[in-house]
Amino acid sequence: MELTRLPILKPALKSRYPQLAVFIVMLAGYIFAILAGFIGTPVGSRNFSIVFVWIAWWAILILVAVPFFGRGWCAVCPIPLPGEWLQRGAVLNPPDKKPKWLNLRWPKFLRNIWLQNISFLLLALFSSVLLTTPNITAIILAAMLFAAIGLSMVFERRSFCRYLCPVGGFIGLYSQTAPIELRIKEKQVCVVCDGKPCYNGSQTGYGCPWDVFPGGLRKNTYCGLCMECIRTCPHDNIAINLRPFSADLAKPSARIDEAFKAFIMLASAMIYAGVLLGPWGALKDAAYNVGTSAWLIYAIIFLAIIFAVLPGFFALGILKTKSALPLKQRFASFATALIPLGLMFWVAFSLSFVLTNASYILASLSDPLGLGWNLFGTASTAWKPMLTSILAPAQTLALVGGLIWSARTAQKAANEIKSSSIPVITFCFIVTLVMLWLLL
Amino acid sequence: MHSRFFLLILIIAGLVVAFVPLSFRPIAPQERTFRIGARQFAYSPSELKVNPGDKVTIQLVSTDVVHGLYIDGYDISIEADPGQTAALNFFADKPGSFRFRCNVTCGAMHPFMIGKLTVGSNQWLYRSIGLSIIAAISLFFIRSTRPSDRQLPITIY
Amino acid sequence: MKRLELLSRILITLAIVGAVGTPLYFWSRTPLIHARIAENGGWTPDVIRANVGEPLHLKLTSDDVVHGFAVGQMDMQSVDVLPGKVTDLTLIFDKPGIYTFYCTRWCGLNHWRMRGTIEVGGSSSDTQPASAPLYVTLKINIDAPHNAPTIPVQKPSALRGQSFSTQLPITNSTNYYRANSPYQVFDELSNTSLTETERWDVAAYLWQSNTTAESLANGQRLYAQNCAACHGENGAGDGVFADDLTALGATLQRSMTGDNKMTMQTPADFTDPKRMMGASPALLQGKILRGGMGTGMPMWGSIFTEEQIWDLIAYLYSFQFEYQK
Repeated sequence: MELTRLPILKPALKSRYPQLAVFIVMLAGYIFAILAGFIGTPVGSRNFSIVFVWIAWWAILILVAVPFFGRGWCAVCPIPLPGEWLQRGAVLNPPDKKPKWLNLRWPKFLRNIWLQNISFLLLALFSSVLLTTPNITAIILAAMLFAAIGLSMVFERRSFCRYLCPVGGFIGLYSQTAPIELRIKEKQVCVVCDGKPCYNGSQTGYGCPWDVFPGGLRKNTYCGLCMECIRTCPHDNIAINLRPFSADLAKPSARIDEAFKAFIMLASAMIYAGVLLGPWGALKDAAYNVGTSAWLIYAIIFLAIIFAVLPGFFALGILKTKSALPLKQRFASFATALIPLGLMFWVAFSLSFVLTNASYILASLSDPLGLGWNLFGTASTAWKPMLTSILAPAQTLALVGGLIWSARTAQKAANEIKSSSIPVITFCFIVTLVMLWLLL
Repeated sequence: MHSRFFLLILIIAGLVVAFVPLSFRPIAPQERTFRIGARQFAYSPSELKVNPGDKVTIQLVSTDVVHGLYIDGYDISIEADPGQTAALNFFADKPGSFRFRCNVTCGAMHPFMIGKLTVGSNQWLYRSIGLSIIAAISLFFIRSTRPSDRQLPITIY
Repeated sequence: MKRLELLSRILITLAIVGAVGTPLYFWSRTPLIHARIAENGGWTPDVIRANVGEPLHLKLTSDDVVHGFAVGQMDMQSVDVLPGKVTDLTLIFDKPGIYTFYCTRWCGLNHWRMRGTIEVGGSSSDTQPASAPLYVTLKINIDAPHNAPTIPVQKPSALRGQSFSTQLPITNSTNYYRANSPYQVFDELSNTSLTETERWDVAAYLWQSNTTAESLANGQRLYAQNCAACHGENGAGDGVFADDLTALGATLQRSMTGDNKMTMQTPADFTDPKRMMGASPALLQGKILRGGMGTGMPMWGSIFTEEQIWDLIAYLYSFQFEYQK
């Protein structure tokens, strides 16, 4: 179903002012979060930076934005904006013919998501500190903003978003499951289109900031939903479609970087569930005391689970399956099946964390810096977990649903590459049981 | 027709696993007392097991800063200063597994200072395992009966 | 397009300046007193200035765990200082001087180091010369051992002791009670016909007759809040920090040469009859007032009022004596 046919949505996307208005609010909020992290109270649960980034934003991202809107967050994310405005030398004006800065092409050997895998893991290893310490969160937020600005000066388009952003990596992976997509309507129109303004830019808008030619879009992963091509397409050939969930996964990926992204996310959700929500104090100590030998062991185990244990069992499982494809390709294709499961692992994990701590949002809204304000009269809202009685059934639903979803994906992938899905379904079954045990 | 019948059976089995009340033979209620040490950021012991109907007393002993103990589901809590043991009395009348957590901000990792109270059996774990098994069975079943279902080449270019 | 471009640039600049400027402005105008555990700096600032008769407004916040605030030797209700929240407090001082403010909720082994001062300036009409505490006038060496040579066989009972109290060769008075240890009473009664057990019972009776139920209750409350974390909830010297103190003492001993007796010790055991029967209230007052000078026992002189210390001492003896309810 084409959403861009809706009479309100089309003009709202074609005009750049609604998005710009959202951008300005987002950017102000982002900068406020950085400032709050530095000058506000060091108590995380009372500081805007922690509460709004790791509770409010995270809840919206993983429970709503990613499952239902894919890269919907990227459409309003403020991080690339200052860099992009500087890169273009304009907020609204059409781009100059001559680039203002270096405008280099991104190096070929880095045209994959390994840097995003690494940046996510770097944050993940320090996550216990990052999640709880306002000034560390502020440093990371500021670093992302300045990294995006710096890369915009050196490289063309949104290199930060496409190749470095630790969040963008997994949003891209899981956006394949979303029921929203941006695609062209008629292929033939693009084939004969002169100048390809959607990629190269025109008077009405900028060339794709994500370095994607919309005519070649087959999956959501690298389309940032920035809406520029809707503005630049002279033939009105771009559509936002409502589609069945996980339509992109029908054609399994063959890329090993994306396969490992799936493992990184699946394993991280499991490790977090055990370390952060489990009853084992020693694990929490090890994860929090960065730099100690206990943390070093934790980090090694963390990486080993992600890169050796889970992929190892997975590879062993599919080793003996009959297929014409080499193991590496089978591995990459079948890893596609882990994407819905990984998303649902994150949903189940986040449900617990978010429902428990959501009451901090109200308090922090009224007193974002911990200075004793009471802007909306909610500053003294007491901490109280929400909906604890439906948490376990909701997590069960998410995880068992994820298992079914992944198993179906595995069957499709097996069909696609003419192989058996049984080892992959067994793998999904076992990790689901482990996750159930960790969370319930 | 045949396959729909099996599917129906699986769905019913799933509903039964998810909602049937688990009633074990009643165990005579006991009085139980746990002495729990609380430090930044862990309880010890951090896993408690009681039977439904037990009268439970939790003595909370803080060993560094002020800590609390809040039990999910039961919605009750206590707060203990070092040197002042606090006691929480309750009837374990809700079966299942519940997290208990610190409800007095006690430092950075405070939101993750968590323990686990199991009253009777961790029923949602068993239910969810049952559901997972039914799900796995139904998937193999669908696969073997409707092999033509998986052709979905609806990619728009 | 030109005008819209300009307008959006202005809007963006305003948004950024607003997002940075507004919170910075209010932040710089909110002087907070931050509480952190002593290891991380205690109170910041730890010196506050005020004037006699003028209200002193304080905004207190904690940067880590639950703390509390109270001013020593003042009749005030302590307030909680909670992490990330601001507690507003107004104080009025009617006498100039240097006051000690301190943390009232245990926040670790070094909780008692969390102290600061309020310097209250101005002139005052009544200046009372401070009188020396009893242990000084009695010239008690509070660092010397004062153990009782013999101890009771059973817990002395005030109820039993009351029946012998008519035929005593000693005059019961507050001064007598404060200056003598139970053992001294026991010793003074050695010429009488009373048995040893009866002599201890008399001491128990004397001790109870010099306190009240309210004093004992107040002492118990003070003990729970301030002492139990080291000395134990039952007075046995086995509080939750006792092990930490021992460990700390061991490290200090290793770094020091010679047999300095005044290094970290295990907290005093008030259930030990040798210690308590040999200690007079004046001696205990000295120990509480001055602290243990490096033993880990804090100095309470600037915190407790004299009344509070006597209440506390009365409670300490209840670990030894059986009082009538």
